[in-house]
Amino acid sequence: MTLPNWAREPLVHFLVVGIVIFALLAWRGGDVDPASRTIEVDREQQAQIALVFERTMKRAPTDAELDTQIERYIRDEVLYREALRLGLDQGDAVVRQRMAQKMDILASSQAETVQPSEETLRAHYDANPQAFASDVRYTLDQLWFEDRKGAERALTYVETADDAFQLGQSISLPPSVDAMTSKELADRFGIQFTQNLDGLEPGENWQGPVGSGLGWHLVRLRVRDASKVPPFENVRSDVEDHWRTQTIARRKEEAFQLLRDSYKVTVKK
Amino acid sequence: MHKQAKQYFLLGAVTFALAACSQGVDTDQQGTGEGTIELAEFPDRPYWGDTHLHTDNSIDAFGFGVRLGPEEALMFASGQEATATTGMRAKLARPLDFLVISDHSDGLGATRRLYDAPRLGVVAMGDETMLRWYDMMHESPEQSQRAIGELITAAANGTLPEAMTSNPEEQDAATAEIWGAHLKMLDRYNKPGKFTAFAGFEYSLMPDGNNLHRVVMFRDGLNRTGQVLPYPGINSDVEGLWDYMLAYEQVTGGQVLAIPHNSNLSNGLMFELTMPGGGPITAEYARKRAAAEPVVEVTQIKGDSEAHPFLSPNDEMAGFGVKGWELGNLPLTRETTNDMLAGNYIREALKRGLSLEEQLGVNPYAFGMIGSTDSHTSLATGDEDNFYGKHTGNEPSYQDRALQGQNLGTRIGRFGWHYLAGGYAAAWARGNTRAEIFDAFQRREVYATTGPRMTVRLFGGFDFSEADWDGDWVRAGYTRGVPMGGELEDRGNAPTFLISALKDPDGANLDRVQVVKGWVDSSGELQERVYDVSWSDMDKRSRVGGKVPAVGDTVDRATATYTNDIGAAELRTAWTDPDYVEGQRAFYYVRVIEIPTPRWTLFDAVRFGIKLPEDPMADAVAQERAYSSPIWLKPAPPAITEQQ
Repeated sequence: MTLPNWAREPLVHFLVVGIVIFALLAWRGGDVDPASRTIEVDREQQAQIALVFERTMKRAPTDAELDTQIERYIRDEVLYREALRLGLDQGDAVVRQRMAQKMDILASSQAETVQPSEETLRAHYDANPQAFASDVRYTLDQLWFEDRKGAERALTYVETADDAFQLGQSISLPPSVDAMTSKELADRFGIQFTQNLDGLEPGENWQGPVGSGLGWHLVRLRVRDASKVPPFENVRSDVEDHWRTQTIARRKEEAFQLLRDSYKVTVKK
Repeated sequence: MHKQAKQYFLLGAVTFALAACSQGVDTDQQGTGEGTIELAEFPDRPYWGDTHLHTDNSIDAFGFGVRLGPEEALMFASGQEATATTGMRAKLARPLDFLVISDHSDGLGATRRLYDAPRLGVVAMGDETMLRWYDMMHESPEQSQRAIGELITAAANGTLPEAMTSNPEEQDAATAEIWGAHLKMLDRYNKPGKFTAFAGFEYSLMPDGNNLHRVVMFRDGLNRTGQVLPYPGINSDVEGLWDYMLAYEQVTGGQVLAIPHNSNLSNGLMFELTMPGGGPITAEYARKRAAAEPVVEVTQIKGDSEAHPFLSPNDEMAGFGVKGWELGNLPLTRETTNDMLAGNYIREALKRGLSLEEQLGVNPYAFGMIGSTDSHTSLATGDEDNFYGKHTGNEPSYQDRALQGQNLGTRIGRFGWHYLAGGYAAAWARGNTRAEIFDAFQRREVYATTGPRMTVRLFGGFDFSEADWDGDWVRAGYTRGVPMGGELEDRGNAPTFLISALKDPDGANLDRVQVVKGWVDSSGELQERVYDVSWSDMDKRSRVGGKVPAVGDTVDRATATYTNDIGAAELRTAWTDPDYVEGQRAFYYVRVIEIPTPRWTLFDAVRFGIKLPEDPMADAVAQERAYSSPIWLKPAPPAITEQQ
């Protein structure tokens, strides 16, 4: 079935939409309070509009710019009020989300700025030591080989070589790393290499071949520094950030529970 | 001479002493991370990040259904586990080093009503608010609901009691709301040396559906970023954005830059030869643009904008991530015609920049290149085997997402499989702080990848040779030349480039390294050429008819697997331009090509047991790549002759 030509005319669409809106208004907007159709942009409101401009552009608006901003404000206000009258705010997922977000911000805004006491922070540190634990760190030397055989051959004479570092093939990898975290080691040498180091005992001897996504390595794993929790003084600001993050989450949840408790909710099965 | 050296030494000592003094006290009041960690002498490794991620603060992302916010986005990017909106649990095998959350400024607290609401919160906030709620709650449930309802209505209508709005300081704080809460949260997650969280937003200018979007990225913390609001994209023009950025820098002392993206969907408007709206480009416009936009995003989920086969017919590797996207502008309301392509693709823009510089004395299109995701899922995933979708409507829970239509013009031929998995940005920095990484962007010492994390070095100079590889070539690169993003002054002999590309240690081997050169020839025409400068098994793969033969293909279509039996772990060369002509303006950038690997569509097909039709199947294997920022060769300024 095809639509007749007139049904495709934009003018017809416009008229139809207009009639629908008119009908809606006639039905819902019958007893409009005349005050609600009055928009007064008083000096205070103008100052507010100017302030927003200034906050964005870091300078006061010119007269022409302020006029434009006020016009925009009036346009938004008219459309906003009419939208409310039509009930367009109802059931709008974005409006719902924004309102809910505002409630969350209300509940947690104080936690953003309050200065926690030393005791509070120490207690938080004692309760969550693992949150502040350092990464495992590695100190090692390594030689790279394109294939496994080359690495195995070099292993037979690496301990007696004058300069072990001359034995590996050339590649853009650091021959030695000093107290490098497992994250950075994985960034440089790949996850496979870092995982394969788990099988090695630290010592002064060359071991391997250790496989990686890049090829094969002989490794002198000098130190593997296990993860530990640093003293409070060294991580104080981390503790504060962590405390604040958790406190904000808790306040949002508490505020929500307060409100939630006053609702009777049934979910039909 | 000696005296001078001594003065430098003294000056150095004083600086050092000052730096030492400022240790211990809070050196990072501006939130830039300066003075917080020990820095390497030279940038010693690329830091990986995504500068283009949307969360539920973006209205479109929210509309597509995402319910994860900025906080979850930061946790996920820094390596913690997250539960995606559609319920799958996700964790990055390799966490990122930095993130710019770039929610659209329109709706990020950029409208009046959003500033008005929180006044009540700021005045009567925290425990007091809760106490009051508690009191009301215990009066009667109906009473409390009405009270809350009235408060929200009053806030939404801007009719709050005057007492709540009278204190200007509180009003200032109130202006923040979403933006302010967001900035504070970013500062909490920003950990110098470990993870960098940048403040930013997306400026979404889109005349007639032609994409002129920019990501705006700040160097600073709340002390400075809290002084401004995001610049709205609606009813504005791009020069307004640059004025906004300049004002931010002048008033706060901070720094900010903008990154254009999806020029491929701009219908020729992103890199015009004229002013927006017509007329010849002015030097002032070019200067403003060059100052504000040192870097462009070349690759992301919505396609790749490096080069197009129509513009670069001799480049058989042009056209990655072009399919589907080349049809029209962002919402596909207008088709893209061939005459628009030159304003859409970055190689062409770099060339246009050279000729504009010749006319104006300033190059508006002298930018570096990065990749990013533009994911709208709050999850910064860039790899083929972890594609979480462009938006929540095509997260992996939708198993036939490759074959589904897009919201962006399916009727005319864009499908799910046209999405790329997304790219990442690599920044050569001396440490992981806001200042170090931002400054790398500012000096264009950054590069783009389509997802894999290959390590790409590029230095340009006049006395490099293969012998440099035997020594500390990185030091040589920095001391005797310039790194990617830099400029060389023509000295009458051909430049030589030290180029090194190391594969992603957890990814595919490398096929080849190419240099892309663009220049203005002696008759003023723009030219380009792609040189294969290093490739795997060079002894066995010698050129046939001037071309390097294809590397091969190990991808098993039935299992979405490949092997590294072909290709190389690292490719290096010291390459001298064989076609150098004195006095010609030119740029050189490096393109690194991996061996063929499965695309996300093939992973999906195998995981979910879907049979891909012919077109998406033909596109299910690709050669991923990296693009370095260029090095520019500029004519020496005319010798100053004394006038009598």
